Amino acid sequence: MEFAWNESEEAYRAELHEVLSTLPADWWESYAPHGPSSPRLMEHARRFNARLAERDLIVRHWPREYGGCDASAWQQIIISEEMWSIGEPRSSLYLGTNWAGPAIMKFGTEAQKRRYLRAIAAGELLWCQGFSEPEAGTDLGNMKTRAEPDDDGYVVNGSKIWTSYAARADVMFLLARVGGKGKGGVSCFIVPMDTPGLEVRPIPGVHSRHDFHEIFFSDARLPADALLGEEGNGWQIVQAIIHYERIGAGRYEKAARALAHVVDVLKARGEFDDPVVRADCAAALAAVEAARLQTYLVIDGRAKDKAPGAETYLARWAMIQADHAVANLSSTYLPDLLVDGADGHLRAQFNSAITAGIAAGAAEVQLNMISGRHLGLPRGA
Amino acid sequence: MDFDFSSDQQALGEAIQRIVADHRALPRTGNIVEPRTFHPATGLEAALADGGFFDIAREPGFGAVEAAILVYEAGLSPLVLETGASALIAPLLTGEALPRPVAVARLADLTRGVRFLAEARTLLVDLGDDVAVVDMAATAVAPLDGPYAYPLGKFAAVPDLAAARRLGSARVGELRRLWRLALALDIAAAMQAATDFTTDYVKQRQVFGRPVGSFQAVQHRLAADAEKCRGTYWLAMKAAWSGSALDAVLAALHAQRAIAQVNYDVHQFNGALGMTLEHALHLWTFRLRWLVGEMGGYRAQAADVAALAWPDAPRKAG
Ligand SMILES: Cc1cc2nc3c(=O)[nH]c(=O)nc-3n(C[C@H](O)[C@H](O)[C@H](O)COP(=O)(O)OP(=O)(O)OC[C@H]3O[C@@H](n4cnc5c(N)ncnc54)[C@H](O)[C@@H]3O)c2cc1C
Repeated sequence: MEFAWNESEEAYRAELHEVLSTLPADWWESYAPHGPSSPRLMEHARRFNARLAERDLIVRHWPREYGGCDASAWQQIIISEEMWSIGEPRSSLYLGTNWAGPAIMKFGTEAQKRRYLRAIAAGELLWCQGFSEPEAGTDLGNMKTRAEPDDDGYVVNGSKIWTSYAARADVMFLLARVGGKGKGGVSCFIVPMDTPGLEVRPIPGVHSRHDFHEIFFSDARLPADALLGEEGNGWQIVQAIIHYERIGAGRYEKAARALAHVVDVLKARGEFDDPVVRADCAAALAAVEAARLQTYLVIDGRAKDKAPGAETYLARWAMIQADHAVANLSSTYLPDLLVDGADGHLRAQFNSAITAGIAAGAAEVQLNMISGRHLGLPRGA
Repeated sequence: MDFDFSSDQQALGEAIQRIVADHRALPRTGNIVEPRTFHPATGLEAALADGGFFDIAREPGFGAVEAAILVYEAGLSPLVLETGASALIAPLLTGEALPRPVAVARLADLTRGVRFLAEARTLLVDLGDDVAVVDMAATAVAPLDGPYAYPLGKFAAVPDLAAARRLGSARVGELRRLWRLALALDIAAAMQAATDFTTDYVKQRQVFGRPVGSFQAVQHRLAADAEKCRGTYWLAMKAAWSGSALDAVLAALHAQRAIAQVNYDVHQFNGALGMTLEHALHLWTFRLRWLVGEMGGYRAQAADVAALAWPDAPRKAG
């Protein structure tokens, strides 16, 4: 049992800090509060990601043949902590490093690996995720978007919704139906966003003006090699990557740093000597650290090549609790700082925390999974 | 980072689990479990003592993590025994094997109620500015009855501790760190055991033709409780590993804050049966009812978390 970082992990973090020190001076004011999908942040991410790539920092945890350094899964969570905690300056490159890349590694053809994995390692691809549809959020198996096979590929029709990053992403990881109804008909595709017949419409959100989009496919033609894995095995791919999606972003670290900032501000205002305020902050810190340790347990399993289990859902639930605990402190004790232009750091954490129990699977779905897989409770009628 | 136990720790844990399992039976009259608020783990205690487990923290190469394994595993038993003070707090605080059972208390607790005080052979007292080590041979303690699944005792009047050995003011912080660690482990174990017991029960108990545990309203609360158990467990194990005062008080805070919800849920899901003494649930939940207030309860832990995590808070001007 060992709860400390080793030397190479510390060194990796220090290298990341060097690159982070190049962020613009007005990062918290002008970039982070609007979220990692905001136009300004996404455009900046292209330059920032190139700086990370110059030093081979992006996918240290990947095998060398795909542009990584054969480092352990711990390096993935280190970069995630460092980036997510300040508003994810990589923008949606992280979708590629956390789960789209691993999916391609596992299910892709050699040509797909050559095309996409090196590009992710080089920080060149911003991703978006085309899963949810108006009638298929939690109930993803109900999706209707179809990819009809034709002579030299597929023709896609339908729509996706809530798609983050879509307006400025380069590629989409798309789920579409090739076969019949249900989960068995689902297939995965990698779709360049400049594909003719693919239209993106923004949907302003309460957490960000720029995050949500609706995507319309009207006879969008995809080449045969856009298919990832085999026709109809999309559900298997989703199952394989879902653990990486749910536990990948260092939300607890963002909450931890926002909490430290909350305390600093309260101290500066002379409001941190109130025992109730102090107790609320202390309870939030405990929640954050409980989430951190349960996340690390998941990463420990990955580092040891153990099959992922119920720990993922326990950690995700803990992370949702921690994120909300800190966001609630901001709105309870520092409500004035959440208004536009007041405190980008607190606003960034608040905005992402309020989505934590919905994006990447509803909180209640995590509880369903804990009930079934951890507690072994019988399915409901 | 490595969340797995070493092979020695693994073997230790398994050995303790076997002993705990071998001595798990509740005393019965005929088919009926004797209706008691708690059942002392006399056989388990003797078996652990025979195996030298209470001295595990002083074994070369072993320490707080190994003692934590003992406290946690023994705490899962429906039978109650004192482990935290004698296997974890006392040896790590004094470096000695003090006569056990050991009770630990703040001065004010002595006339209110202390776990294991009536049978304790050693008492550790947090005097605020010092730690007293009291030989309990010649002291008179009255046992207390109440809705708690621990043997409790108190002194009729504040005892004269003038002759008691003192460890010095420098050890007060260490006593509190270790006590909080032991407290968090006791809570983690009792919450886990109560949740496991309830999970088994709701799989069996049928209502409206289906198991209680198939209703989502029940599942979600038990699932959230399960996370509280795991979160507390890991905070406590990390605190055992790190030796950090902040880690220990964070674990105790998280643990004490979790109790109200977990206790409420598990009692709800056991229905009236959970209100009977022949059903085992209260053997853990009525430990938790005591532990929730120990060391001043979460208010006190929260105050210390804040003091340790965020020192130098300026006082409000004026
Ligand atoms: C900020 C944000 C970003 C997102 N980004 C993307 C993206 O990039 N790509 C993408 O594909 N999707 C994205 N989503 C969509 C997200 O995946 C869905 O919102 C999520 O899967 C839930 O689906 P839904 O919103 O349709 O809610 P519904 O499925 O309609 O569910 C509503 C609520 O009902 C409850 N519920 C549902 N099912 C159950 C159940 N089985 N048991 C108990 N309770 C249940 C839950 O409380 C749930 O929140 C994003 C969402 C958010 C909030």
